[in-house]
Amino acid sequence: MSDRSVDADARETPSELRADGDLASGASRTSSELRADGGTARSTSERLSGNSFLGDFWVNFVRWNLKAIRNPFVVVGSLVQPIIFLVLFTQVFGQIATGAISGGAAGGITYETFLLPAIAMQVSLAAAAGSGIGLVNDMEEGLFEKTLVMPMSRSAMFLGKTAAEILRIVVQIAIILALGTVLGANVATGFVGAIGIILIGILFSLWFVALSNIFAVVTRDQESTIIGANLLQFPLLFVSTAFLPLSAMPGWIQTVATFNPITYGVDAARALMLDQDVMTVVEVTRFTGIWNTLVPAIAVLLALDVALGGIAVYLLNRASSSDVQ
Amino acid sequence: MELTYADGTEAVKGIDLTVPEGEFFGFLGPNGAGKTTTIKTFATLLSPTGGAITVNGFDVREESRRVRETIGYMAQETSVDEEMTARENIRFAARAYGVPKDERADRIDELLDLVDLADVGDKRAGEFSGGMKKRLDAATALVHSPPLVFLDEPTTGLDPKARNRLWEYFERINERGTTLFLTTQYLEEADQLCDRISVILDGDIVATGSPMELKRRVGGEILDVEVAAAGDASDTAGDIADPRERAAEIARTGDVFDADADVSVTDDGISVTAERARQHGTDLLVTLRDAGITVTGFNIRAPTLDDVFLAITGEELDSEAQSADPEDVTGSEVTAE
Repeated sequence: MSDRSVDADARETPSELRADGDLASGASRTSSELRADGGTARSTSERLSGNSFLGDFWVNFVRWNLKAIRNPFVVVGSLVQPIIFLVLFTQVFGQIATGAISGGAAGGITYETFLLPAIAMQVSLAAAAGSGIGLVNDMEEGLFEKTLVMPMSRSAMFLGKTAAEILRIVVQIAIILALGTVLGANVATGFVGAIGIILIGILFSLWFVALSNIFAVVTRDQESTIIGANLLQFPLLFVSTAFLPLSAMPGWIQTVATFNPITYGVDAARALMLDQDVMTVVEVTRFTGIWNTLVPAIAVLLALDVALGGIAVYLLNRASSSDVQ
Repeated sequence: MELTYADGTEAVKGIDLTVPEGEFFGFLGPNGAGKTTTIKTFATLLSPTGGAITVNGFDVREESRRVRETIGYMAQETSVDEEMTARENIRFAARAYGVPKDERADRIDELLDLVDLADVGDKRAGEFSGGMKKRLDAATALVHSPPLVFLDEPTTGLDPKARNRLWEYFERINERGTTLFLTTQYLEEADQLCDRISVILDGDIVATGSPMELKRRVGGEILDVEVAAAGDASDTAGDIADPRERAAEIARTGDVFDADADVSVTDDGISVTAERARQHGTDLLVTLRDAGITVTGFNIRAPTLDDVFLAITGEELDSEAQSADPEDVTGSEVTAE
């Protein structure tokens, strides 16, 4: 083989350890190397940067949707618990709860109607928890590393994955709303309100998607990620306005509920469900009707999404960077 | 038209190497020697803390995406998506590497054929055996026909049959003109596949050469001879020295082997490393018998990785540099104890 390059001579001697990021002087002599690809006559080398951001996004979106479809058990399974909650709570607590509701802001409605928006948010939480599990699965199976070696935009990779998860959340909330309607719940704001509830569901899911990914990156362990998400999910649901109005709960829960993100998601969804200003943790009267609930709720959720999303993006960036840690 | 594919990194202690186009290059070393760290640095998964690395003409730090576009990488751990079929796994990689739509279907079929998975192409990878998953993994690393492919311990954990099969694919890929950079802890694997090998130990390259050259370091074949202990050797003339010592003496001074044969005393006999131990082994056995030493067993074997290391590192420790080619020993100046 006569094609050995003399390039090696230009390199530093091995004993010279350089500081991070310090490029060796004159090391990249690329006059001949730049044509490297032509020599092997590979057709792909002509269009090295063939991938667009949108293309990368789409590849990953397709992959994660495909994986979701391949695991119908997970898609269906994550719906089972909210459905059980919906059916059991309305049957078991329906009688008592109706009394509690009529004492609160939302008088004169059935418990089904009161509970359904909360269940929609629960679905959103459960689906969001799957995000970190998918990531940690990829990490454990070496697929995370494999995708890092691929010439894809890292942001497009994560966005494509998250978009697939959001699609799943949309489908699942739609199923739950339809089911709730069948069970006797009533969306007072109609079809537009139902779309609104789904949008609230997306906004509400993002902070938990972020949190679940934070668990994944920090623990890098599937069980820890699942436990972490579940451990938060249920207590948080109960110490919020999800199952009963604020006024029906003891003082300390009222305090906790004020700082509980779930309260804001549930209240926003419930405002759309009942066409009423239902928020009691923060009294806003500047707007009219349901906007007195929607505006503060959306503001809180957005702030939370940005904050946790920022941490998640930072951690994901660090996890996918090549810097030696 | 000539080009450099890879160059040195200081990922561990200081490595300086160049792999020319089309070569099947091997990185041989025990666990923890720094093989994976090095290959990950080449594949842009780790950023070098010093030095410069050029892969396919691109700097791994400054032009990492370019590097990624022009290499294939197969991690030590088999990485296939078990929820997707073989075809879908390859399709995902093809899309991720930007293989044009009109070429994609043909490329996928071609690769499924190459790794003999065409008949199970639409089965989920989760149902595959370890060897099949590994082959699928290899196929996904080739979707964009990269001129350079990194293989990190590709056959670790495979049974011999699956391993041999994988070797065939690698050879086939290499014959198509693809440069392969392999890490392994098996001398046999490096021997079978590689044009050139670097032996890495504790983050340093301690030797570089063709498999033949490296084995010559060890000095050919190894003959282990077991001799009976002094106590039960009834026909031993006299009760002077340990028969092992005597046997070693005979092997050293006799006419059987060349002077450069390496003879050492082991627990139950002697071990002779010599160029033509296989041919001359019987002569030694006869000579020993004539000298009244009872041979209870013998074995002729090819040098193992252990032997190569012993030869290479032993030379350094004994500071007998006479047979160590200084050109091959790079980075030794930073071997801090």
